[in-house]
Amino acid sequence: MKSIITCATAMIVGVLPFQTALAQSPEEKGLEIATATNERDSGWNHVIADMEMILKNRAGKESRRKISFRQLEVDGDGDKSLSLFLEPRDVTGTAMLTFSHGLEPDDQWLYLPSIKRVKRISSKNKSGPFMGSEFAFEDLGSQEVEKFSYKFVGEEACGESFECYVIERLPQYESSGYTRQIAWIDKEHYRSIKIEYYDRKNSLLKTLDFIGYNEYAEKYWRADRYEMMNHQTGKSTSLLWTNYDFERDLKDSDFNQKALKRLL
Amino acid sequence: MKVPKNIVRSLTIWLLLFLSANSYALQMNHTMDLEWRGFTAVSSDQERFNRDVSVSFETEFRTSFNDGSTTLTLTPFGRWDSRDPERRHYDIREFNLIHAVDDWEFQGGISKVFWGVAESNHLVDVINQTDYLENLDGEDKLGQKMIQISRSFEQSTLSMFVLPGFREREFRSSDDPLALPFKVSEHAQYESDDGNSHIDYAVRYSGYYASIDYGVSFFSGTSREPDFILGTVPGELVAYYPQMDQFSVDIQITDDSWLWKLEAIRRKYSQRSYNAVVAGLEYSIYGMADGLFDLGLIAEYHYDDRGDPAITSFQNDLFLGMRFGFNDAESSEILAGAFYDFDDHSSAVRVEANRRLSSNAKVSIEAQVFTNVDTRNISYSLRNSDYLLLSLEYFF
Repeated sequence: MKSIITCATAMIVGVLPFQTALAQSPEEKGLEIATATNERDSGWNHVIADMEMILKNRAGKESRRKISFRQLEVDGDGDKSLSLFLEPRDVTGTAMLTFSHGLEPDDQWLYLPSIKRVKRISSKNKSGPFMGSEFAFEDLGSQEVEKFSYKFVGEEACGESFECYVIERLPQYESSGYTRQIAWIDKEHYRSIKIEYYDRKNSLLKTLDFIGYNEYAEKYWRADRYEMMNHQTGKSTSLLWTNYDFERDLKDSDFNQKALKRLL
Repeated sequence: MKVPKNIVRSLTIWLLLFLSANSYALQMNHTMDLEWRGFTAVSSDQERFNRDVSVSFETEFRTSFNDGSTTLTLTPFGRWDSRDPERRHYDIREFNLIHAVDDWEFQGGISKVFWGVAESNHLVDVINQTDYLENLDGEDKLGQKMIQISRSFEQSTLSMFVLPGFREREFRSSDDPLALPFKVSEHAQYESDDGNSHIDYAVRYSGYYASIDYGVSFFSGTSREPDFILGTVPGELVAYYPQMDQFSVDIQITDDSWLWKLEAIRRKYSQRSYNAVVAGLEYSIYGMADGLFDLGLIAEYHYDDRGDPAITSFQNDLFLGMRFGFNDAESSEILAGAFYDFDDHSSAVRVEANRRLSSNAKVSIEAQVFTNVDTRNISYSLRNSDYLLLSLEYFF
């Protein structure tokens, strides 16, 4: 009798995970992938990198931006980041300090070097273009899991021969310029390979491709190049990342209003 | 012009020592500004010119050591003007060494400091002398000698300042249409027996809590703002710098697209004291007309309990401002602002537009109109000084 019970228990226990997997809704699976993506990319503490943006209009005319970027991981809250603008030269030395808070509005300060002023600014402008580029502020902000609701769509090949999960995500934060995004995440390392952005009228607005992934600190994958194409205007922006540094020690005191003035 | 020689000399020695001993990367940012000013309807009773050309040049040299925790900055500035000899001036805007250790920051040399939150007048901002030769908006400052020690806490900073070496305000030539309506003596007078070598002190505690940014400051020393008194030379007034204590608060609440702002001061001289306040708001609408532009609206009310429009432009005045930011690759923008005096109904309007020409160049155009200026208003002498300014800035 006992063996029958044991056997039955074993069957139930054995079957349960299988049933859970079967019963997992597309929403649960989407969230699971997003959570896994986030977990794979946590624990890096701090990072420094240089960013160059190349803006191209429909006629192919280019203009460039250069930004030195540093970021600090914060446990239990969004990241702290500091962007120092180097080009165009009229904004050289201008810097932006952001404390992101997931669904809550970010705290953001702008430093204007000509008059040495630090000004708290509204972080409401999520959908506006970042420095005239095809990247909106929300595309470059800290990507916490709770910022979206998720839905697993399927699996397919993507990018340079990656096997990818396809998930749909809906912004849960206020003032987004998108109704939804479709993201392709590679199954092996949970890296973003491609994102499609749908505007407020739910038509395809932009596509972002992540190209040239490298592994840093034996753990963290970063793409060398982001290619954002705006299908509605024909404009595009390339974002090139260089000099990734996960080693240099950054402290909380490197991310305050005082530090903004010492950057350049 | 007074350049604080001993500090300049000692910092120069330090700079040379650092640069000779080590091959540190020296960063240089040069800004050249070519401007043309044209004035309308300068009245015939005044012998004032109606147009001029001028060029300014500023370079920021900066180098850092100790993995970025020590920074040395030198920023010389100079302007040449075709008509106004007083605007042919130079200044050391910055020449300082900053050393940061954990939560402490030590700064010595010549620096610029900005305090406050308002846009149309900077009431609480008293550390540096304002450079009115550059612009009437009060945002250009002369370098000030100082020792500054700051301690940062979780969400706030305490800064202490020792300010040796007072800088006198500089005035335009009497034939400059933006000059004061009287001639100012070359020789200033001071309440303090120490004259321009009186040592001033200041303390500021500032920080943020949730959506509130705040600052509380105290300044004790020579007033940066002079009174004008009769001197011995007829037809000439003397700038008189009294001693003062100023206590101030500044607060900004950032709520979604709204910024609520307040600056308030209490200023005490030996014989009198007064209070002044600026309170206002800034509202931004992003992505108007299908993302074509952002619109920013500013309203600020100014009050000064001396209540006299002959002493201050900000005794009972309203400022309304508007900013159109076109989200293009050239960062084109249009700014417009108007002051209105409730007491004597004087008003002034200023419009500015600017646009990037390339990664290195920017062009701007500015027009200022003084309308309906009352005879008793401090701006009366500017009533016929409407101007157009074209500026081409080159950065390299």
